[in-house]
Amino acid sequence: MRVSLTRLSPHRLRNAIREKDSSVNAFICMSPPPKSAPERSQRLPLQDVAIGVKDMICTSDMKTTSSSGMLRDFTSPFDATVVTLLREAGADIVGKLNCDEFGMGSLNVHSVHGPVVNPFQPASSTVQWENREKRSAGGSSGGSAASVAAKMCSAALSTDTGGSTRLPASYCGVVGLKPSYGLISRWGVISFADSLDCVGVMAGDISTTRDVFDTLNVYDARDPTSASPDARQRASAAATRAWSTSSLADLRIGIPHEYFPSELSDEVLTPVRAAIERLKSRGATIVPVSLPSTPYALSAYYVISSAEASSNMARYDGVQYGLHVPLPPGTNLTNTASMYARTRSVGFGAEVRKRILLGTYALTADAFDNYFLQAQRIRQLVRADFNRVFRVPDVLSSDPTDAVDGEGVDVLLHPSAIRTAPPLGAEDTDGLQTYVQDVLTVPASLAGLPALSVPLPTNDQDWPVGVSVVGQWGCDDTVLRVGQFLES
Amino acid sequence: MLPSCRPSSFFAGRLRRAYHDQRWPGWQVVIGIETHAQIKSRQKLFSDSFTSSLGEVPNIHVSPFDAAFPGTLPKLNQECVDLALRTAIALGSNIQPRCSFDRKHYFYSDLPSGYQITQHYAPIALGGGLLIPNRDSPIRIKQIQLEQDTAKSTFEPRTRTSSIDLNRAGTGLLEIVTEPDLRSPEEAGAYVRALQAMLRAIGASDGNMEAGSLRCDVNVSVNPIGQPPGTRCEIKNLNSIKFMQFAIVFEVHRQRALLSQADAVVPQETRGFNQDTLETFKMRSKEEAPDYRYMPDPNLGVLSIAPERIKSTVEIMPELPWVTRIRLLREYELSEQDADILLNLDSGQEHGDGGAVAYFDRLCKDGPSVNPRVVFNWMVHELLGRLHAAKLTFTDNPLSSSQLGELIALVNSAAITGTSGKLLLREMLADSSSALTPTERARSLNLLAASSEQLDVSALCAAAIAALPSEAAAFKKGHKNVLNKILGWVMKESRGRADSQQVRECLISLLH
Repeated sequence: MRVSLTRLSPHRLRNAIREKDSSVNAFICMSPPPKSAPERSQRLPLQDVAIGVKDMICTSDMKTTSSSGMLRDFTSPFDATVVTLLREAGADIVGKLNCDEFGMGSLNVHSVHGPVVNPFQPASSTVQWENREKRSAGGSSGGSAASVAAKMCSAALSTDTGGSTRLPASYCGVVGLKPSYGLISRWGVISFADSLDCVGVMAGDISTTRDVFDTLNVYDARDPTSASPDARQRASAAATRAWSTSSLADLRIGIPHEYFPSELSDEVLTPVRAAIERLKSRGATIVPVSLPSTPYALSAYYVISSAEASSNMARYDGVQYGLHVPLPPGTNLTNTASMYARTRSVGFGAEVRKRILLGTYALTADAFDNYFLQAQRIRQLVRADFNRVFRVPDVLSSDPTDAVDGEGVDVLLHPSAIRTAPPLGAEDTDGLQTYVQDVLTVPASLAGLPALSVPLPTNDQDWPVGVSVVGQWGCDDTVLRVGQFLES
Repeated sequence: MLPSCRPSSFFAGRLRRAYHDQRWPGWQVVIGIETHAQIKSRQKLFSDSFTSSLGEVPNIHVSPFDAAFPGTLPKLNQECVDLALRTAIALGSNIQPRCSFDRKHYFYSDLPSGYQITQHYAPIALGGGLLIPNRDSPIRIKQIQLEQDTAKSTFEPRTRTSSIDLNRAGTGLLEIVTEPDLRSPEEAGAYVRALQAMLRAIGASDGNMEAGSLRCDVNVSVNPIGQPPGTRCEIKNLNSIKFMQFAIVFEVHRQRALLSQADAVVPQETRGFNQDTLETFKMRSKEEAPDYRYMPDPNLGVLSIAPERIKSTVEIMPELPWVTRIRLLREYELSEQDADILLNLDSGQEHGDGGAVAYFDRLCKDGPSVNPRVVFNWMVHELLGRLHAAKLTFTDNPLSSSQLGELIALVNSAAITGTSGKLLLREMLADSSSALTPTERARSLNLLAASSEQLDVSALCAAAIAALPSEAAAFKKGHKNVLNKILGWVMKESRGRADSQQVRECLISLLH
């Protein structure tokens, strides 16, 4: 299927995307077809690979709206580092992809461009594809997952702050990688919560995911949180020491029981159990583990991400760029707050406004200690939980042990989401359920760990289910290798 | 033990505790100052755009980061860190092995990102002190922090529009905070002057209040002597030492008046200063103070300062003003007054190699071995005097130290007279672009002191008496002062080559 995409000429590819996307709404805009490049003597790694880019990643030749009314007509003066790297690798960046506004949401329904419709249709369905059951593509990178699932792109860039890559990957049945925090440059990626934001990669299979990841996995001096070449090298050496054979027989897989909550649906549990059994039968060691801080992770995540979001959203004030809504005539102009309030109330959607308010509260002098500082402490506990179970040491820790822990595990395996894609329209968009979806994905975000969602085989009538592979920081290669075993 | 044997600081401390100010007898004034000094780095604190100076075309030194474009990230400029380290070393502050950056949030059009990156929780240096004249104990420094400057907004009342210039946005600032150790408006002024001189000497800041590269917020409280300190009010954004002192004086009188009333309360406030009325005015009360929602910046992480970095900074520290002063007194035996004249010349502007002390050093070290006080006279009284007469400052001085040094050497070796030297200086200043060396120029002006056979003093004197018969007659009648006029005629005719004492003696003998 991937081959058929690259065979199309850039021009025909765009026409095909346009036609298909009318039923998906994954694309916000498309780039003009690249001028036919002169024949190169050397094929570039991503030569002519069609790649879509989440609309939170800046492109100088297309608008970057973050699906927000605030940036509806905004074009960045520069390309994000990841976009430059893709272009240099020969990729055809076909367009910008829909998402939840500023990455805030789990269903891709909070978008000024409208919701993304999951392109999946069970094989047993008899209705035309265009008339299929309308379900959510997941969020916030719903457009990225859907564009890959609908085979409109070979791969897509997403972002992942608390699960925004893994959840839509699971709902749409594609591969989604959230790399270790700091490996892929965030220069040019619009911030939601800087300490958690990662650029993610989505594709139809692990091998394409790896090709794109390898292209982007470079140090960038423009990103102050970019992992140093030294840290990268130490992590990769530690990963190799821990799992030197890359064989399933030497792989130790941890199953964290906190990630199998009562809310987990059977349609998810059954295929995940089957996947674990398959790996076990092929020689992997399955180890039950406990990550006791998991129940607190979600609240810590919402405090930290909302606090950082409230800070990052402050720049959208209608003064330098973006939306500016003039005050109605007769307004008292001496109160500047009313100017900001007007533009921001109109420009931001309900979900973003809600998180700004939550984050603003968490940072007030009275609440700071009880919310923000507490959340940071929980974040440390979550990190410590992971360090206790992995046999690869944490090279970023101030006191890293070089010794590989023989009792520890190489990766953790757990469901990517508690259910399959929920129907659009009937979804509980504002209730607690939406947040609970994130419960399985935020711990890896808080700890900055690589996490990969791989689609699992299901029956003809079932919706896609993803399983997550989580590794120690910097062990992205291990995670991808395990993903490959799951795929085969 | 006799009082005179006590350590001077102890004695001064006792004196200070009993400090009475005739302007407000019975009251003690307590002042603390926060200064914001623009860091003199080539590039801004977190972006690679260049820093700007006053009067540049607006919005030309702006990167997407400075304008808070989405997707941009900060990158700490290590040059700013180095200048902060120099400042910390100069003030004897404790440089923290680990410091970090925080976001201070508020909405204002001169703050594009909606927050200022500052160091709220863990500043780069804590403690330290600065000595000021007439105080034995240093003014204690509380902390030094690195932070971003804002953009500049200007309001045009006619069109009712605000304009924003982002040239300044993101320029590095050093916030230097004192403990409440100052006791009078004059001490506050002396502190700011000493800080300015230090910042300029180490190249950390221009420290120019008029140009806005140094700004002060002042905390003032008053209390009856012997009672605990009163409630303080903060006066924001004072942009000259003079205004700062006016503001403090006004504030002392205002707070005293409040405390003399029946309820005797000074409400804690943030106040502004009106430069036209020289009065402070209320901006906001403590209750109205904004909550800045400080948050650790999630991008910048921890800044670790290794001991080796501090060590290498110490090694390249320029001479501090108070060290220079001692050197001028000891090495050159200048009077305190003369040393301060040189130091004050430097504190007016940037220096380094272009400064007055460095110029004086070169004159004394590279030039002929001349008494430094003579060198000082030539440099300050003659050269600077001429510059001032032409409404110029030392920065406008067109003469190199080697040119002036050669002139001083000519006089010192008696190759030309002092009078000729002054004439030569005038000529050199009038035509500074000439390629002639001072010696060549003296020769072309016929100033090189002639040997006796070349210059017949008696003949010149006789000619003078002949040319000025009525003056000669007046002198003979007893008007002794007229002699100066005849003497002047001779000096002029000799183009200053004649020795004036010799001429005077000759004239007197001829007129008797």
